[in-house]
Order: sequence, then C-alpha cells, then structure tokens
Amino acid sequence: MRQVPVIGPIRRGLQSDFALRFRRSRNAMIGSVLVSIVLVVAIFAPWLAPYDYEQINMLAIWRPPGGEHLLGTDALGRDVFSRILIGARVSLTVAGSVLAITLTIGVTLGMIAGYFGGWAETIIMRTVDIIFAFPELILAILVAAVLGTGTTTVIIALSLVWWPGIARLTRSLVLSLREEMFVDAAIASGTRSWRILLRHLLPNIASPIIVRASVGVGFIIMAEATLSFLGIGVQEPTPTWGGMIRDGLAALRTDPHLALFTSLALAITIIGFNLLGDGLRDLLDPKVRDR
Amino acid sequence: MKMSNRISGLRAGSALVTVLVLAAGAAQAQTLRTNINADPAMVDPITYSELIAGDVIGNIYEGFTAINEAGDVIPALAESWDAHDDNMGFTFYLRPGVTTHLGNEFTADDVKYTFEALLNPDNQGGLNARYLSTIVGAQAVTAGETTDLEGVTVIDPHTVEVRLTEPDVLFPIYPFYFMDDAAVETAGDEWYLQTSAGTGPFVFETWDRGQRVLLSANENYWGEGPSIDGVEFLIVPSGDTAVSMFDAGELDVVYADNPSIRRILQTPELAEQSLQVPAAQIRYLGMNQNLYEPFQDARVREAVCIAFDRQAMIDGLYEGAAFPLAGQVTPGVAGFNANLEPMPYDPDRAQALLAEAGYPGGEGLPPINITSTEPNRNDILYFASQLQQVLGMPVEVEIVERGSHIRNMNAGEVAFFPWGWSAGYPDGLYFLSQVWYGPSPYNRSRWQNDEFDALIDQARATADNDARYGLYNQAEEILIGEYGTCPTTVRMQLALVSPDVEGVRLTPFRFLPFNSVTMN
Amino acid sequence: MLRYGVRRLLGLIPVLLAAVILTFLANQAVPGDPITGLLSDQSGDAALEARLRAAYGLDRPLWQQFVDYILGVLQGDFGLSFRFAQMPVIDIIGEGLLISPVLALSALAIAFPLGMLLGTIAAIRQNSWVDTSIILVLVAGISVPNFALASFLVYIFALQLDWVPVAGWGSFSQAIIPITLLVVPTSAYIARLNRTYMLEVLRTDYIRTARAKGLREKIVIWRHAVRNTLVPLLTTVGIILGGLLSGTFVVETIFNIPGLGSLAIQAIFARDYPVTMAIVLLFTVFYAGINLIVDLLYSAIDPRIRLGDRAA
Repeated sequence: MRQVPVIGPIRRGLQSDFALRFRRSRNAMIGSVLVSIVLVVAIFAPWLAPYDYEQINMLAIWRPPGGEHLLGTDALGRDVFSRILIGARVSLTVAGSVLAITLTIGVTLGMIAGYFGGWAETIIMRTVDIIFAFPELILAILVAAVLGTGTTTVIIALSLVWWPGIARLTRSLVLSLREEMFVDAAIASGTRSWRILLRHLLPNIASPIIVRASVGVGFIIMAEATLSFLGIGVQEPTPTWGGMIRDGLAALRTDPHLALFTSLALAITIIGFNLLGDGLRDLLDPKVRDR
Repeated sequence: MKMSNRISGLRAGSALVTVLVLAAGAAQAQTLRTNINADPAMVDPITYSELIAGDVIGNIYEGFTAINEAGDVIPALAESWDAHDDNMGFTFYLRPGVTTHLGNEFTADDVKYTFEALLNPDNQGGLNARYLSTIVGAQAVTAGETTDLEGVTVIDPHTVEVRLTEPDVLFPIYPFYFMDDAAVETAGDEWYLQTSAGTGPFVFETWDRGQRVLLSANENYWGEGPSIDGVEFLIVPSGDTAVSMFDAGELDVVYADNPSIRRILQTPELAEQSLQVPAAQIRYLGMNQNLYEPFQDARVREAVCIAFDRQAMIDGLYEGAAFPLAGQVTPGVAGFNANLEPMPYDPDRAQALLAEAGYPGGEGLPPINITSTEPNRNDILYFASQLQQVLGMPVEVEIVERGSHIRNMNAGEVAFFPWGWSAGYPDGLYFLSQVWYGPSPYNRSRWQNDEFDALIDQARATADNDARYGLYNQAEEILIGEYGTCPTTVRMQLALVSPDVEGVRLTPFRFLPFNSVTMN
Repeated sequence: MLRYGVRRLLGLIPVLLAAVILTFLANQAVPGDPITGLLSDQSGDAALEARLRAAYGLDRPLWQQFVDYILGVLQGDFGLSFRFAQMPVIDIIGEGLLISPVLALSALAIAFPLGMLLGTIAAIRQNSWVDTSIILVLVAGISVPNFALASFLVYIFALQLDWVPVAGWGSFSQAIIPITLLVVPTSAYIARLNRTYMLEVLRTDYIRTARAKGLREKIVIWRHAVRNTLVPLLTTVGIILGGLLSGTFVVETIFNIPGLGSLAIQAIFARDYPVTMAIVLLFTVFYAGINLIVDLLYSAIDPRIRLGDRAA
C-alpha cells in the first residue's frame, strides 16, 4: 500500500534545493518582496490607512498630493491613499477566493475526466471546450451582467472562466500518470479509486498545478480590475482599483493623481505576483528547470 | 384664448433681428460644427423619443408654436388659434406660404397626417404621441380600429380644428414636429434616411452612423435665416474629446456634458468662451411612503430634506455650476414662484425632528437603500454619507441599470431615490402634473394629496395664464410645505461657443434651432 | 488532412450552438428591460410599451423567440437593435466590423517581430544583466493592465507633451496609443515564449552542428535558430489573437473607438441583446476560425504532429 516511490525523494530534494535556487533568482526575489508588501498592506489596511476610506468631504475635493493627504483626494474629498490601501484588500480577497474555487473545481473535475474517462470525461471536456470558445472577458462580462454587480458576482464570473484551464491541465497530467507503474500497481492491489486519486495522483500533479495557480494570480487580479474598470465589479463605497482608475481617467486632465497613483499600485501588485509566479515556475516545473 | 397680440410684437422683433443678420451675413457662409455624444436613436419625427434625436430633429421640424430666446412661447406654423367656447378644443390658423423640404405647401392635411401617424400602432409613435391622448377618437386609432383621427378636422388648407375629450389649455404649446404627408409615398418606409420632410430652417442631408449627421440650410425657410450653409452634428462620445476639439478649432459650438464642466471652468480661456443657462429640469429626492414607513411622518421627511447641504453639493459636485432649487418649477419656466426659499441645511433641527418622530439618533429606523444610476453615483454617495452622519439613518447606496430603474420607479417600487425631470414645454404644469399629480404614471415616489390634485385639475382648465400660474403656486406650496419631496438643485447647462460664431441661442430647453447663427 | 479539417469544422457546430444558447439565455437572465431602456425616461405609456414589445417579438414564448432567432441567424438576419430604434443589427455591426480586427492585426504585425527580437536577444544573453532586465520589462509589459498603462501614456504623451490626441478615431495619430496598448502585452508574451523556445533550440544537435560547421554565430542564430522557433510560436497565434480581441474591448472603450469591442460593451450595458448576441457570435466564430487555421497550418508545417491529438 505504501508503494509510491516517486513521491518521497523528489519532494525532499526539491525542498532543500528550492530555497537556494529561489534566493538566487533576482526576479523571483523582487517578486516576493513586492508580494509581501502587498499582502501586508492588504491585511493591515484598516490600521495603516490614515483616513476613513468612506469619509466624504465636500470642502476638500480633488486635493493634489501632499499636505494633509499624501496622495490627494478624489471627487468626493475621500483620501486616495487610504482607498488604495483598502483596494489592495478587495483585490486580494477576490483573487484568493477565485483561486480557491477554481483549484477545487478544476482539479476535481480534471482528475475525474482524466482518470475515469467515459461519459464523465466527455461532459466535462465538452463544457471546457464551450467555455474556451468564448473570449474570456466577454464571458465574464456576460456572467457579471446576469448576476448583477457585487463582490460575489465578480468571484463567480472569474471562477467560471478560470476553472477550465485548471481542469484541462489536471486532466492531461493525470492522463500521463495513469500509465505509470505505481498507478497500475495500486489498481492491481485493489486500492479504491478515490484513494488512488488523492494519495497517489494528487501529490504528483501538485507542483505543476501550483505553478499554474501562482502564474494565474496576477491575471485574476487584472481581470477583477478590468471588470470593476468597466463598472461591473465590486460596488461603491467599497474602493476598487479598477473603479478608481476609471474615475481617475475621466479626470486625468484636471486631476491626474487619482488615475496615476492607483494605476501604479495595480501595476506593482500584478508585476510582483507575476515575477513570483515565474520564479516558482522556473523552480518547480521540470521542463524548464534544467536550462 | 387669443395670443395674437403678444405674437405680433414678437414678430416685429424677429423681423428686426432678420435684418441685422442679413446685414452681417454678407461674409462668407459656412457650416456650423457642433457635437452630439452618440448617434441619435432616430431622425424621424414620429418615433422621436430621446434628447439627442431632439437636438437634431428640432432643426428640421416645427410645431404650431416655438420657443424664443427668453423661453417664451411664440407662434410658428400656426399664426394664431382660437379656443373653443366650451374649452374642449382649438381651431388653428396655419401660416400660409410655408413649403416643406419636399417642395409641397404645408397644409392642415399634414397636421392631421402627423397626428394619425403618431397614434398609429404600426409606427411606434414616440414622445409626442402622449400629447394626443385627449383628442376625440385617439383611443380608436391607438387600438388599431381605424386610422382616421375623428377629433381632427381639416376645415380648409390653412385651418384645422382639434376637438378634445377634456380641457387641455396647453395643447397649442405642445412641441409637435409636423411632417409632409407625402414623404412615405415619395421615398418609402425609410423615407427619413432618404429625404427630409419638415418645414424647419435646416434640411436633413445624411447620417453617417458613428460619425455625423449633416443638415443643410433650407433656402425657402419661412422665418429668419439661416445664413450658414448647414449644421454638422459630429458624434463625439466623450465630452472631454469634444472640448479638446473645440480647443483645436474642430468644433464651433459644444454642449458640455457634466464631467467636462470641471475642465472648462478650471481653464480660463475656455471659461471665457462659455455660456451658462439654467436647465429646465427639476431635481428632487423621492421618498416613497408606501415602501418605507418612517417617511409617512412629515418630521422625518423634513429631517431628510435639511440634513444635506445643497451649497456643498453645488461647490463640491457641480463646480459651482448649479443653484439650490426651492420648489418644483425651475426659473425660466412659466409659473415659477420666485418667492419660495430653498430648504436650509440645519443638522441640529434635523436631529431634533427625528428624535421627535421617535427615532433619536436614527435608532429604530429600518435599513433603506438610496438608489440611482451610475451617472448619479457621487450624488447618492453624498446623500447616504450625510444621512448616516447627521441622522444616523442606516442608508446604503445602490447603483442600478437605467432601464430597470425607470421601470421600477414607474411601478412605484423604489423607496428612496434622487431623480430629475426635464420640461418638454415651458410651462410649470409639465413638472407639477407629471411628477407630483396623483394619477400620473411618472409620480414615481407615489406622493399623493387630494388638494394638490384638485388644483392641477383646475389649472388644466384655466385658460388665463396668470390665474393658472397662481394655481401652480398654491399646489407647489402644498407639496413643499408637506415635505412631499426635497427639491435639490438646478444644474447649469454649459455651452462653448467660438468667438467667430454669433447668434447661438442657449435656453433652458437646450439650443434653439441654429437659424440665427452667423459665422465669420 | 482534408478529413481532419472537415471534422474540425463539424466539431465547431455544437460549440457555436452552445455559444448561441448560452448567450441567449444570459441575455434573458440579465436584469433590466430593453423596452424600458428603449423608451425615454418620459415615456411610461403602457400601450406604447406593449406595442414595442410586440414589434420586437418579445411577447412570444421564449422557445419561439429562440427558434426564430436561430432561423434568422442562419439567413443572415440578426434582428433589430433595441438601442437604435428599428435599426437592423447587421447594419450597426457592419459599421464597426473591421475596426477591431484591424486594430488587433496591426498590433500583431508590430508585436510579432518585436517579440521575436526581444526574446532572441534575451535567450542568447541568457542570465546576463541584459537577459534579466529584458525579463523584468517583459513581466511588466504583461502585468500592467491596458487601462492602467493608458492613464500613464495619455497623461504623458497626450496631456503633457501634446504629441497625440487624447481620444477618438479616424486619424493615424489617434491610433498610436491604442495600438501601443495592444502591442505591449502581446510583444511581451511573444518574447517570453520565444526566449523559452530559443533556449531549447540552442541546445539541439542541429544548432551544434551548424556551429561546428564554423558558421558565424549571427547566421546560426538569425537563420537557423529563429526559423525553428517560428513553428511553436505560430501555434500560439490563436491564443494571442484571443487576448488581442479582449484587449480591443477595453482599449476601444477607453478611447471611444467605434469598433465591435466598444459596441459590445455598450450593448451589454444597454441591454441591447440582439447586438450583444451577434457580436459574441462573431467573435466566437472568428476565434474558432483562427484556431482552426493555425492548427491546419501547424500540421502542414510539421508532419510529426498527429492530427487531433492536441487537446491539451
């Protein structure tokens, strides 16, 4: 029953090797520093923010950066810096939720399709094909339009366009592993299917999926921002970076600080996640590992 | 009712203007370039149902009457009219010698044709169809039983009689757009893209979707001008782009949208070239007493009305281009009451009133949403924040899609909302009878008062202007005295006019037709 | 080859049908009402509303609306727009039909060589500071959302330097920023892929042989290696075009460009179902068509590929 020789050594070797290689990769280090900053900001935003992010002040609209307001104020006199900090929290909450949902659904369905095949595979993979046939953004917008605006809507819409990629990857990984000796052995020894999936297959496909997920975070944040930029995301008075950039773009000529600082925050966050994701991929993905 | 006296004076005035224009018009004539922010939804006067289409169509088609620069009603295609003795109809005497753009003489048949076309169920008659519902036989045409409108009789080519089922003293000032009855015969069902069938100062030439609508001067126009070659409405979706194009000399006249007002007023060179005229649009906070019980208490309504600072909204949200609205008739519209004072901003009194009503510090108030569409987002964020802070009222903002919002408001299903209403003709009855009259489909907050309704009924049958305006004022005082609504602000319309262009007339009802424009 | 092509074409039918059904259902489920949207704020006339509902066929049962819609589409009739009174959808779409593909293809035409160049330079200088900085720039290019980049570019080049107009469509200068916004992420994506492929190719015997023959390094790289990375790059053109099309939605919206992308966004917001459906359908067909062509090209170029086995 314990015959999973592939797993042990590889994992151990990876861990020791991992930290060293990671520290050597400059871009991955930059990425992890940026991501850490964003995470700290997101977690402690309510305590870091100098002002109440909802506080409207008609006597202080469109204040330029500097003075009492580090990054100025918006059309309602709200503190831009505080809203950017809270915006980080909103972005990461959405991205984290989407990631959790898509990983759960995508991996489960992908493993079912890859391992069992048959009609289950046909249904799952046809669904995947159909979702892939739509341009991603259009589908997300359609779903968001159906469900009405709000945080839950954004999470559902993005999950819906994201899981098929994970499912497809999982299926192909499972397909290639199913032919391996240790799976045959497990089947031969009468191990139940779910146990093979969880104990034997899942650990072996975990690292490419983690790579895929970590590369995806940046894109999920970008997609969330795009939806709120188009006005169908998380709603006011909760600040979102996409929504702030939209409002800022409309006022770019007279009051550029809102769009520029928010764009900068969004750009840095996504760059951070992508650098980190790329770093992880280079380290974990055996295909590119040895170059 | 005879309006002829007033009319002849005005005609003399416009004749004088014509002479001046002709003298100045010796210079080379040109095409006036102005902006609209989207394609018009239509360019024909029958399905006409929205503002942008109105901006275009108003230059091509005309009604019995028109508005002058002061916002007063002046005769147009009808030279004069008589009210019937029983107050149940009118006889209109049409202006002779007017030719349509198709070259036919404009006659009483065209009037009857236009009315029938508006009511015909096959035509999707637009906004103007609603003015016809009181004509005898209108229901039968709408129901598709007949195409002949019984209550409209052609007496001779220049006399048409309209009989009504109930008094409607404002019928002559309704802004109809009459069209030539030969248009469909001449150019087919899509005649409005092929030809032009109005009598107005400009002739429809082309509509390049997404690009522009082009009008040319009507050489045979019966009235003043035009001295320019035509009007080009360039479709410029972004107000900011339109202002830049104006700056670069690519547009001669710009009707500024709200977001670009800040840019214009913050740029001295642009601010100097701007015209500001208040819009004939009331704005109010709707409080539906059926949906939110605390609103049934006048003290709560008053507390809401004085818990926000109109001046702060004007300075903060509208760049100062607005002023507080005291009642529910705007200045520049007949029947405006200049003696009403705007509601004050008085947080202390608001709190005291709320406590008196049994909700000290907002305690015991059920949660409520303040609802509006995306363009009003900042307004409702401000209202919500003020009501939370001053009154402790548990208000959440809710942004909804426009179409369903209008539907829900019409169905009386929105509890708390800021909204507006733009006058279609320059008479206070437009606001009072549509927005606050009990049986009106547009009484969206469902405020209802029998005394108010009786005054409006009486006003509809009162031909004497001053007496009628007195009734408006009485009704309005009931509405405001009861805090049936909180009047908020009147926005200024802002237009940019190039120094090379003269004679652009911005009224509370947007631009008048461009026939008085001259260009250097 | 031909049989494979036919099979792929037939395989498109259920996908397209599903796309139509999904879009149709989504449009039904969207809160909001196209008829009240069509009417102005001031026309609450119930009779007019009923007449319009009938004119647009919205009073029929749902299944019949759907069947009629499909039958119409098969005859090239996409129905009438809600937003523009009585205007056939086909006319509305026709006006902007070419703009989005023109934007996407011009961006691709610039991005492809640019991406190849950057990727190749990074690969031949692997692990040097040149490589590291190029990678950093590429990550930034992929990461910064187009609307965020737009705020910087518009601020600097349109507002501060006044080199190009802020928005609009019709002149060359108006197209510069929008196309740049599309080129940046696309070329970064291509460059990253190309760097990876190039690193693989540079290790093959084929290149070793070329070097061993004494060919100059420049010729080895630009003649032999680059040619070999072209094939795998070509297969990603489908994905790239998909991304570019999505990009046009946002870019057209920001710059008021009257293409299908901004039209689709406006139609979705205005509950103009017939226009939304037609555009979604068009994009889906276009997207699927590109993928099919790329697959066929790919199998023509590289006979080793077993047809039909490229699911993953």
